[in-house]
Amino acid sequence: MRKLTCIGLASLGLLTAACATAPDPAALQFAGDSPAPVASADPRVKFKDGERYLRDLSANLNMPREDICKELSRYDCMTDAFRIVLGGVEAPNLLVNEPIENAALTSPIAVDRVALHVCSKRVRMDKESPADAVLFKAGAYGEDGRSTTPDKAWLSGAADAIYGSILLRSPSEREIQNLAAFYPQVADGREAGSTEVAADWVTLSCFAVASSLEAVFY
Amino acid sequence: MTTHLSRRNFLRTASLGATGAFIAARMPQDAFAQEAMIERAKNPRFLIVLSSFGGASQVDAFLSRRESEVPNAATLNAYPDDMVQTIGEFRAIDMKGPSIGAIPAAFTANQSNFVRKNSNDMMVVTHTGTSVNHFVAQQRSINGNAAWQGRTLQEAVALTYGAGYAIPNVHLVNGTGFTERGTDNTLPAYVYGERAPTPNLWPLSLDGYRGIAGAPDRKLFEAARNFRNERLDPSSDFFRTFRNSQRIKHWADIRGDALRGVEAEDLITKLMLFPDSEEMPLAAHGLTGSAIGQKVREAFPNYEFDPLEAQAALAFMLLRYGVSVTVTLGPEGSAVFKKGVKLGEGGLGEGDIVNPPISFDFSHQANRQVQAVMWNRQLSIAERLISLLKSEEFRDGQSFWDRSMIYFATEFGRTRRRPDNAMTFGSGHDLNNGSLIVSPLANGGRVLGGVDVDNMLTYGFDPTTGRPEPGRNMTEPEMYSGIAHALGIDTAGSNLPDMRAMRRLA
Repeated sequence: MRKLTCIGLASLGLLTAACATAPDPAALQFAGDSPAPVASADPRVKFKDGERYLRDLSANLNMPREDICKELSRYDCMTDAFRIVLGGVEAPNLLVNEPIENAALTSPIAVDRVALHVCSKRVRMDKESPADAVLFKAGAYGEDGRSTTPDKAWLSGAADAIYGSILLRSPSEREIQNLAAFYPQVADGREAGSTEVAADWVTLSCFAVASSLEAVFY
Repeated sequence: MTTHLSRRNFLRTASLGATGAFIAARMPQDAFAQEAMIERAKNPRFLIVLSSFGGASQVDAFLSRRESEVPNAATLNAYPDDMVQTIGEFRAIDMKGPSIGAIPAAFTANQSNFVRKNSNDMMVVTHTGTSVNHFVAQQRSINGNAAWQGRTLQEAVALTYGAGYAIPNVHLVNGTGFTERGTDNTLPAYVYGERAPTPNLWPLSLDGYRGIAGAPDRKLFEAARNFRNERLDPSSDFFRTFRNSQRIKHWADIRGDALRGVEAEDLITKLMLFPDSEEMPLAAHGLTGSAIGQKVREAFPNYEFDPLEAQAALAFMLLRYGVSVTVTLGPEGSAVFKKGVKLGEGGLGEGDIVNPPISFDFSHQANRQVQAVMWNRQLSIAERLISLLKSEEFRDGQSFWDRSMIYFATEFGRTRRRPDNAMTFGSGHDLNNGSLIVSPLANGGRVLGGVDVDNMLTYGFDPTTGRPEPGRNMTEPEMYSGIAHALGIDTAGSNLPDMRAMRRLA
């Protein structure tokens, strides 16, 4: 089935990189690159605290804020579970009046959990209600509706949906290539054209983008 | 080669519980420094800061005085003779009362049981602080008024012993000066305190994957993490523009080896205090409670509604599982009532109030009653922690307690004056006080310093011999130094005074 994936990706010009056992990151990373931006001499980025982060994901992924992320199916990820480590405050009971100055050791783990919760749920909703799908549009992998494995258009469309929904911008050609190159890893040892593989790829791509530096900081 | 072998042995030291993923990143470059770090991590000391918010007063406890001993007893805070017990060098007050100031709740409080049981490990040291502001004084109680470049005692312990521990310094109580980050910014990131504000749900933040319904296979999840870290982020315009940000660098650092080190220890299971229940449906999410959960819950049966008991339970688990070398816990500002108590429906029963509002600081309303209730609460927590730590072997027949210290950090004492012969009276903040330290590492069984019965203020002691020195006041840096040295921390180059009298061994 890995062969099928390679066929699909061939149309994207990624055959060598995507199907190699160990793809050369540089070949993918800088293909179609625009000139590298100049590094800021005085970078002032801020951590997007958990509530802002979840509200953004809620609005962008069309998921109600109150249901978007529940630990143990009952505790809100931000309000109840990770409020402090995600940069929130809780003065009345915990006396925490100021957000943490530096990210805690557990902060990136909490972010990963939240992103995985949200993306898993979004894709599950997409599978349950294809007509309202936001990220994972199953049923056909190509514009002609006949492909049995993700083709260039489907992968590009999915990447566009993921970046557009989470970061509110279109992905660059390089970013599309990067996500497409990740597909074979997800499909490794599985039926590449199966709905489950494609859904996993969308879930994990969503996770990677939603927990990326660009999503967590601003 | 020697260094390499030592490191391997270090990683094999089961009691450390470390997997090594994060240790390599914490290793200093210098081979000699590596050896020193390894040796210290293999032979740790544990610091438990049991913060005592609001002014835990020594003259209402282990330095109390009888009215017959005090010339102006009617107007000073001396207790009726029959209330003061003498146990070794210590005093103890046991008290019952119908109310805690304006709070109509009967109480029974006991100090003598703890003293009788633990006097060999108890050390009371007198000192005089420099601030009666709560937050400032709290900070100074743990940084010795910036005695060592502003690093806190917890940070010093984490730096000395914590390299092999996943989360060396955990703050279970928050929003106080006792858990304020020190001002020494030269320390490695792992020594600064990690906030664990909700003992029931915090363990979930120790694994990015487990317990999430419908997530793809873990191997794929890890592949996605690597893809993000190694390809997606490095090639993004955002990263390339802001890559010099300290926040970005710190984030990239802690989501690498540090994160893998934490997750590899399965702390989401080991530290899960709560059992599977309707409130905590662990099994339904593929999770289980800690193997020692039952034992810990039996020691702290009120963990579900009493934040301090939940903190203490998690504190023990953090030490027992080799996750941390220092934990900070303590009562918070809110009142805590026994489970099921309904307010506004008549008076409270005995013991219905577990923690008065603002803890020791409610002494503004009723000094003696509040001190009695709060000391009883703190000593009860300490007693149960000690019992648990004694019940677990660290190595070679030594228990965890043999390597531990409980420091009852507090801001200040309370004013000593009272209306004529009053039993119930309010008190203010007073710089003069003392601290209780309980540890096999401390100069146990000793009161260092004394009480001037003319004014009920404490006086100091000779730092070397411990001999009482009326007229001398011990300082915050001296207290900091004495605690650090008792814990075996190398303070070379710090200019801290030698406080030989405060440690058991030379």
